[in-house]
Amino acid sequence: MYKIMIIEDDKNICDELARLLENHNYQTILLKDFENALHEILEVSPDLILLDINIPYISGEVLLQDLRKESNIPVIMVTSMNSEIDEALSISYGADDYITKPYNPNILLLRIGAVLKRTKTNYQNHELTYKELKFDSQKGMIKKGEIEIELTKNEMILFAYLLNHQNKIVSREELMTILWDNSEYVNENALTVNMSRLRNKLTEIGYENAIDTRKGLGYILL
Amino acid sequence: MKLGAYLKDHFYQFLIFLICSIFQILIFLSFKVNLSVILSSTFLYVVCFFLVLFIPYFRKKKFYNELLSNIQALDKSYLVLETLTKPEFYEGELIYQALYEINKSMNENVRMMEEHLQDFKEYIEMWIHEVKIPLSTLVLISNNHKEQFDKKTKLQLKRLENYVDQVLYYARCENAEKDYLIKEIELSQVIKNVGLQNMDEILENKIDYIVDNVHAKVLTDSKWLEFILGQIIHNSMKYKRSIEHSYIKISVIEKQDKIILIIEDNGIGIKESDLKQVFDKSFTGENGRNTNQSTGMGLYIAKNMCVKLGHKIEIESVYGEYTKVSITFAKNKYYDVLK
Repeated sequence: MYKIMIIEDDKNICDELARLLENHNYQTILLKDFENALHEILEVSPDLILLDINIPYISGEVLLQDLRKESNIPVIMVTSMNSEIDEALSISYGADDYITKPYNPNILLLRIGAVLKRTKTNYQNHELTYKELKFDSQKGMIKKGEIEIELTKNEMILFAYLLNHQNKIVSREELMTILWDNSEYVNENALTVNMSRLRNKLTEIGYENAIDTRKGLGYILL
Repeated sequence: MKLGAYLKDHFYQFLIFLICSIFQILIFLSFKVNLSVILSSTFLYVVCFFLVLFIPYFRKKKFYNELLSNIQALDKSYLVLETLTKPEFYEGELIYQALYEINKSMNENVRMMEEHLQDFKEYIEMWIHEVKIPLSTLVLISNNHKEQFDKKTKLQLKRLENYVDQVLYYARCENAEKDYLIKEIELSQVIKNVGLQNMDEILENKIDYIVDNVHAKVLTDSKWLEFILGQIIHNSMKYKRSIEHSYIKISVIEKQDKIILIIEDNGIGIKESDLKQVFDKSFTGENGRNTNQSTGMGLYIAKNMCVKLGHKIEIESVYGEYTKVSITFAKNKYYDVLK
């Protein structure tokens, strides 16, 4: 489980952000001692830091610069300063991504996932498995023994996401967000169609009812 | 300085001179003075009079003419004092001094107003950053507690966010200061961000977001462009027709010297009589009056921002059929050479 440190001085945001991340299988740690922030970060050594610019004692940008002298922990700047200049500065100080408040929680989760995937080498593996089924996301194929089935781009995106969140309910909204984030601007009907095609293909390869629909909540890969 | 007007202004001097001359001649006559003496002294008198009248005219003419013509020629006429040579006659010196004092007090006033405006803008920016914190918290809460808050809450929060952003960008682009950063931006990335930001509303309105091949690089500020596109898309959603297949179609045309980004919808369109005014401040038009949700600021701010960034924004529409907004980016040859 990845450890994410939240550096943010508004307690309400901290709590809700922590809840959101914990709901999505991340461990969260809130920075307590803003005066000795760098020391605390290095001690905790998180996998990723969500850093606000407006924090007490020291600005987020300065903290980032100090941190970069010591460590390469991935940092996503999360801030209400939304000018291109602020973003360019943060990136030049070594931030891995920059998100402005108020953010869409699904997008935030996607960005966190993307940064972690980019920076953690053990996640470079293109082949995922589901039971005896092998999923090659580069070729876009699912394979079980001799049988091979090709997936379309949308089906691949959906399957990969479901696979990464196996045994958890995934909302339609989350699926929509990941599709749109891949420049596939589908509508509600198209999502339903894509899901049922994916289901059919999984049935074809021998996994009937692998994806369950939870009314009003979303889908779950069992 | 016109001679006629000057003479008219000095008519009373002429009158006094005339009366004096007549009396002088009468006095000479009553003393039976020789005629040639009368004539020569009167001639001297006339010459003196004209000298007294015209020498000041030519002295003043240079200064006043320069003043008037420079005021006409300058687009900022309050700067005229800087262009004048200091006059050498008393009256001119008085005017020059008065202008100097007026200018100084005016400058102080303008500076005070500018400081005031800057303070106000800083406050607005700070306020917006502050208000975004509870707004973010609300977005997170509504997301974390879906059982208590349905989609409607989320959409209302999104609306709130849009209004807050309008104020921010209004404050930014009304101000003389440069608040943007022009970089080379991939258009497809901007279009994706705008899509993601407005995805919930687009889906809720059952509108298809159709994006053609939009891979092109333009020079702009991506945050500003995202806001501009956001305003256009908001309008498309606000003024959609109740038909089966509503869409917002985004495409790019690349020409030799420019790149045109086109956002087209099949909404209710804009009446021809309103079309010219859609970029005007606070203009709501027929559509705005009918939906009652229009502030008339979105497109005005978008236009202003385009002007600042050096893009051209145009709108084309057939009432009841479609609206098409195009943003033209110039290709920068200098930049290409640098690469």
